[in-house]
Amino acid sequence: MHITVNSEEDMLKLGRCLAAILGEDDVVYLLGELGVGKTVLVRGIAQALGYKHRVTSPTFTIMNVYDSTPPIYHFDFYRLQSHDLADLGLEDYLECGGISLIEWPQVGGKVLPREALNLEITLPADDYEGARQVQIYAQGRKYQEKLERLRQIVDIGD
Amino acid sequence: MMKDVYILGIETSCDETAAAIVKNGKEILANVINSQISIHQQFGGVVPEVASRKHIENIATVVNNAFTEAGLSHQDIDAVAVTTMPGLVGALLVGLSFAKAFAYGLNRPLIAVNHLQGHIYANFLQHNDIEFPAICLVVSGGHTSLLYMRGINDYELIGATKDDAAGEAFDKIARFLGLGYPGGPAIQKAAQQGQAGLFKLPRVFLDRNDFEFSFSGLKTAAMNSWKKAEKQGNYKVEDLAAEFQAALVEVLVEKTIRAAQKYKVGTILLAGGVAANQDLRTRLEESARQRQLNLFVPSFLLCTDNAAMIAGKAYHDYVNGDFAPLNINAQPSQYSLIK
Repeated sequence: MHITVNSEEDMLKLGRCLAAILGEDDVVYLLGELGVGKTVLVRGIAQALGYKHRVTSPTFTIMNVYDSTPPIYHFDFYRLQSHDLADLGLEDYLECGGISLIEWPQVGGKVLPREALNLEITLPADDYEGARQVQIYAQGRKYQEKLERLRQIVDIGD
Repeated sequence: MMKDVYILGIETSCDETAAAIVKNGKEILANVINSQISIHQQFGGVVPEVASRKHIENIATVVNNAFTEAGLSHQDIDAVAVTTMPGLVGALLVGLSFAKAFAYGLNRPLIAVNHLQGHIYANFLQHNDIEFPAICLVVSGGHTSLLYMRGINDYELIGATKDDAAGEAFDKIARFLGLGYPGGPAIQKAAQQGQAGLFKLPRVFLDRNDFEFSFSGLKTAAMNSWKKAEKQGNYKVEDLAAEFQAALVEVLVEKTIRAAQKYKVGTILLAGGVAANQDLRTRLEESARQRQLNLFVPSFLLCTDNAAMIAGKAYHDYVNGDFAPLNINAQPSQYSLIK
């Protein structure tokens, strides 16, 4: 599924749509270079699920927890290498009733679950002031069904 | 007169394994930091010591070195202080478990310290004449916050970043521009060879009347400017570094001064790793002097993560009898400055 996102407001709106299809124990991988809007998308999801405080980049802290319903575990593996992940205690969070939103999952390799919703954000014009392309694809039946539902409710972009 | 109080401080909330012994909340007898920066440099800044394994390997040695450096025995310690928040749970737990066992073994009280309060306290380790109320700018890799402080333990958050922390923005731009790690010193070094104003970057939120910050937009504006400059072929990375630093520092300085004026305080405190940035120190000094505000800044060593600030802050809890139970847990929560 392809979506063109023209503004920060639209990115937040996409987050709200994602919030409607995500539930307990879901895993979402967020790919895209620095500054494309991954954290903005997470903000949209968290706000839609009732989180009222700040959603900031977890690059330094590696993980933020938002007490939304269900809770969100916002990971960022930007600073990590794969051998760090084995020591991180990820299993304490995945499949514990929350939604895991993971930035820079490329580092994770085999430690991370294969089945997930993948969102890849790119800058088609190579211009940070311009539009974003969001490509969404699912791995695993559960996420394919969720992607179908998302297709029906997303009302932004082209 | 109260007898001398010796506190062992332990800090493992992020990249450093650190231990220190501080006398009476003031005199640093030992300050041991096992930093992994040289390893980070080899790998371009992507191997932080968040893995608790490294803290486990280091902690006993670091604590022993602190006792050797201070020339004290374990029995000389009156309390054990440890960082319990914020940070990654696995990393925090190494220091916390060690501190609990140490305190229990010696039959001494345990004191839980907030890492950010520790950073603020670094000022009190070095200055005797700090008067309240004060405005404190806490600025590091993970935080950019303005506090209104009535006392060491009495403060409120008046503003903070809505997205990236200032130190994080430095790191990401340094990496994007290929300037190395850690990003703050790398940008500062490049900026000295460059000229601000040739590139034009926004002073984000300076037009707003509140104390919120946003550095994500500055980051993308810098990356955009760089991509455009590369296409035109006429560019100097040092000029962009200089403009980036200038834009970030101007916002931090302006908002801090405005906060001091709005809250009618005479004192400004600077704290956290980014407080080591020379441009920030110089500009904040100038602005504070012009408005007759007293500015306090910790030494470079005490700006970065260390355990002396933890042991120092804990002295005040010790005096107040504010001890932690041995079943206390680590708290990863990010905005733990808000009570």
